[in-house]
Amino acid sequence: MSESTVLAVDDLSVDLGGTEILSDVSLTAAAGELVGLIGPNGAGKTTLLRAIRGSVQPTTGTVTVDGQPVADLSARQTGRLVATVPQETRLSFSFSVQQAVTMGRNPHIGRFGTADDTDRKHVEKAIEHTSLSAFTDRPVTELSGGERQRVLLARALAQDTPLLLLDEPTANLDINHAINTLDLVRSVVDDGTAAVAAIHDLNLAARYCDRLVLVASGSVLASGAPETVLTRETLREAFDARTVVSEDPTTDSPRVTALSEQRPVDDGQSVDYGHIDDDSHLDDDS
Amino acid sequence: MDVRQRAVGWSLWLAAGLVAVITVSAGIGPVSIHPTAVLKVLLNAVSVPVGIEQTALSTARTLQLPDPGLRWRSPFTYSVDSTHRVIVMRVRLPRILLAAAVGFGLAAAGTVMQGFFRNPMADPSIIGVSSGAAAGAVAFLVVPMAIPFGFGLRGAAFAGALLAAFGVYAIATAGGRTPVATLLLAGVAIQAFLGAMIAFLQLHSGDGLRQVVHWLMGHLGNASWDDVTITLVLVPLLFGILLTYARDLNVLLLGEEAAHGLGVEVERTKRILLAVSAVLTATVVAVSGVIGFVGLIVPHMVRLVVGPDHRVLLPTSALAGASFLVLTDTIARAGTTEIPVGIVTAALGAPFFLYLLRSQEVHEL
Repeated sequence: MSESTVLAVDDLSVDLGGTEILSDVSLTAAAGELVGLIGPNGAGKTTLLRAIRGSVQPTTGTVTVDGQPVADLSARQTGRLVATVPQETRLSFSFSVQQAVTMGRNPHIGRFGTADDTDRKHVEKAIEHTSLSAFTDRPVTELSGGERQRVLLARALAQDTPLLLLDEPTANLDINHAINTLDLVRSVVDDGTAAVAAIHDLNLAARYCDRLVLVASGSVLASGAPETVLTRETLREAFDARTVVSEDPTTDSPRVTALSEQRPVDDGQSVDYGHIDDDSHLDDDS
Repeated sequence: MDVRQRAVGWSLWLAAGLVAVITVSAGIGPVSIHPTAVLKVLLNAVSVPVGIEQTALSTARTLQLPDPGLRWRSPFTYSVDSTHRVIVMRVRLPRILLAAAVGFGLAAAGTVMQGFFRNPMADPSIIGVSSGAAAGAVAFLVVPMAIPFGFGLRGAAFAGALLAAFGVYAIATAGGRTPVATLLLAGVAIQAFLGAMIAFLQLHSGDGLRQVVHWLMGHLGNASWDDVTITLVLVPLLFGILLTYARDLNVLLLGEEAAHGLGVEVERTKRILLAVSAVLTATVVAVSGVIGFVGLIVPHMVRLVVGPDHRVLLPTSALAGASFLVLTDTIARAGTTEIPVGIVTAALGAPFFLYLLRSQEVHEL
C-alpha cells in the first residue's frame, strides 16, 4: 500500500437479506486517481459504494479511508472522509442552491453551531468550481437535470473529503452534460482527491478513469488500466454480450461496441473484430 | 442573510403578533374589555425577581414556578378595574395561554412530522398519538375502573398517547431499523384499531356520551392555572430539544441514505425526533383533547412564507400555531353558545388547505 492510498477495500463481503451481494472484493484508490466501477446491472456496484461509505455493514472484510476503518467511525466522522454524489437525490423541497450546497458542510458543523467562515469558503469554492454562481438563490426544484447534478457534485465538493464516490453520475444526463460532469470530476481528482465512480457507459469510463474495476455477480472480474480490462473475453464473461473493442481515433481510449445477437455485422463470426480500426458500421456509438 | 438572523427576525415578529393576539383575545367575551385595559392588567401581573429573601412568599399571580426564594416586585402598578382584573387573570388568560401552548406544540410537532415523513399529509397524530390519547380519555370517562388507580382524565390520555406511539414504533421497527413507510402504515392501522375501540366505548357510554364527544372534539375551556403551568413548562422544553435537530431535519429531507452520507446518525436521530414529538403531542392533547388541522396546515402556511429550512420554519411555525389556536379558540368561545375549538380549526383549516392544494404550493413538500 503506497503513501497516497486513500481507500483500501480488503476482501469485502456483503450479505443483504441472506443473499450474498459482494464476495471478497478488494480495491484501492489513491489520491489523484479516478477508479471506474463497471459491470452489468445488479452486479453489486451500488452496494460496493454503500459499503465503502458505511451505509451497509460488511459480513467480512474491511474498508479503510485515510487509514481509518469505516466500520468504527460515526456517521459524522465518515462524512468528513467520504462524500457521495448520488445518481438522483430527493431535492424536491425548494431549498436554494446555496442552501443545498451548504448541507455538504453538515458533518463539519456541531449540533449547536452554524456555518462559519471556513464553511462559507468551502461552499463558495464548490459553487464556483461547478459554475453555479449564477444560480445560488434559485430553488433547486427549478433547475434542469444537468444543473441539479452539478448541485449534487458541488455539495460533495463542499464536504471537502479525501474520497469522493459517484454513483452513475451521468446516467440521467445527455451527452454534453455527461462530458461536462466528468470533466469536472476529472479536474477535482487531478487536484488530489481520490474518486471511485460507478459508470454505466463503458466508453466514458475508459476515457476518464485511470483504472477500471469490472464487477460481475459480486466479484471483481478484472481490474487495471482500461485497455487491459476492456477486452472481448472479459466483457463476454461479465455482460454476456458480444463486443468489439477498438481504439477511439479521437480520444485514443478503448472503445467498446456491443454487437446485436440477431443482426450479425457482416459475417460476424469469422472476422477478428479486435483489429478493426474504424468502420462505418460501428461508428455511432457513444 | 444569515440563517440565525432570519430565524430570530421572523420569530420576533411572530412573537409580537402573538402578544397582540393574546391581548385582543383577552378583551373579547361576554364582558368586553378594551385592549389597553387588558394590557394594563397583564403588565401589572408581570413580576421580576429583585433579590433573594428568607421567607419567600411569591406574590406572582401568574406562573407559580418552583420558587427558589426570590423576592419579586411588579415594575408596573397601573390602576385597573378589579372586575376586569379577575376576568382577565382568572377566567380568560389561563385558557388563552393554554391555547397558545397547545397551538405552539401541535404546530411544532406537525412541522417535525412532515419533515420526518417527507410527506405533506403528516401531522402530529400520524403515529397514533391522538388516537391513543382519545382511547385513554374515553376509557377513563366510560369505564373508569379500567384505568389503573391514580390516573386522572389527563393522565389516562397522556398514558394512552405514549402507549399508542410506542406501539406503532415497536411494530415498525425490525433489526434496529425503522423504515418511515412502515411507520406510516403501522400508524394508520393503529389509528383505525383505536378508532374502532373508541366508537365501541362511545356506544356504551350512556350518560357520559356528551362528555366523551366534548373531549373528542377538542376543548380548552376547563383550563386551570395548574394545566397551564405544566404545559407552559413542558412544551418549550421539548420544543428546545426539537430545535437542536432542525439542521438534521433539513438533511433528512434528502433521504436517509444521503443524510447518513452527510454525517447524520439516521436511526438515532429518527428515534429522538419521534420520541420527543410524541411526548410533545401527548402533553398538549392530554390537556386539550383532539384538535385537528393545526399541526397540518400551520406548517404549510408558514413554509410558503419562510421556506423549507427547519431552522427558520420550526420556531416560526410554532409561534404561528400559537396565534392560530388563540384566534380560533376566541371564535369558539365568542358566540352565545361555546363550540369545541376542534370544530373551528377544522372548519377554517380545511377550506384553506384545499385552497393551498389547488394553488399547488403544497405539492412542493
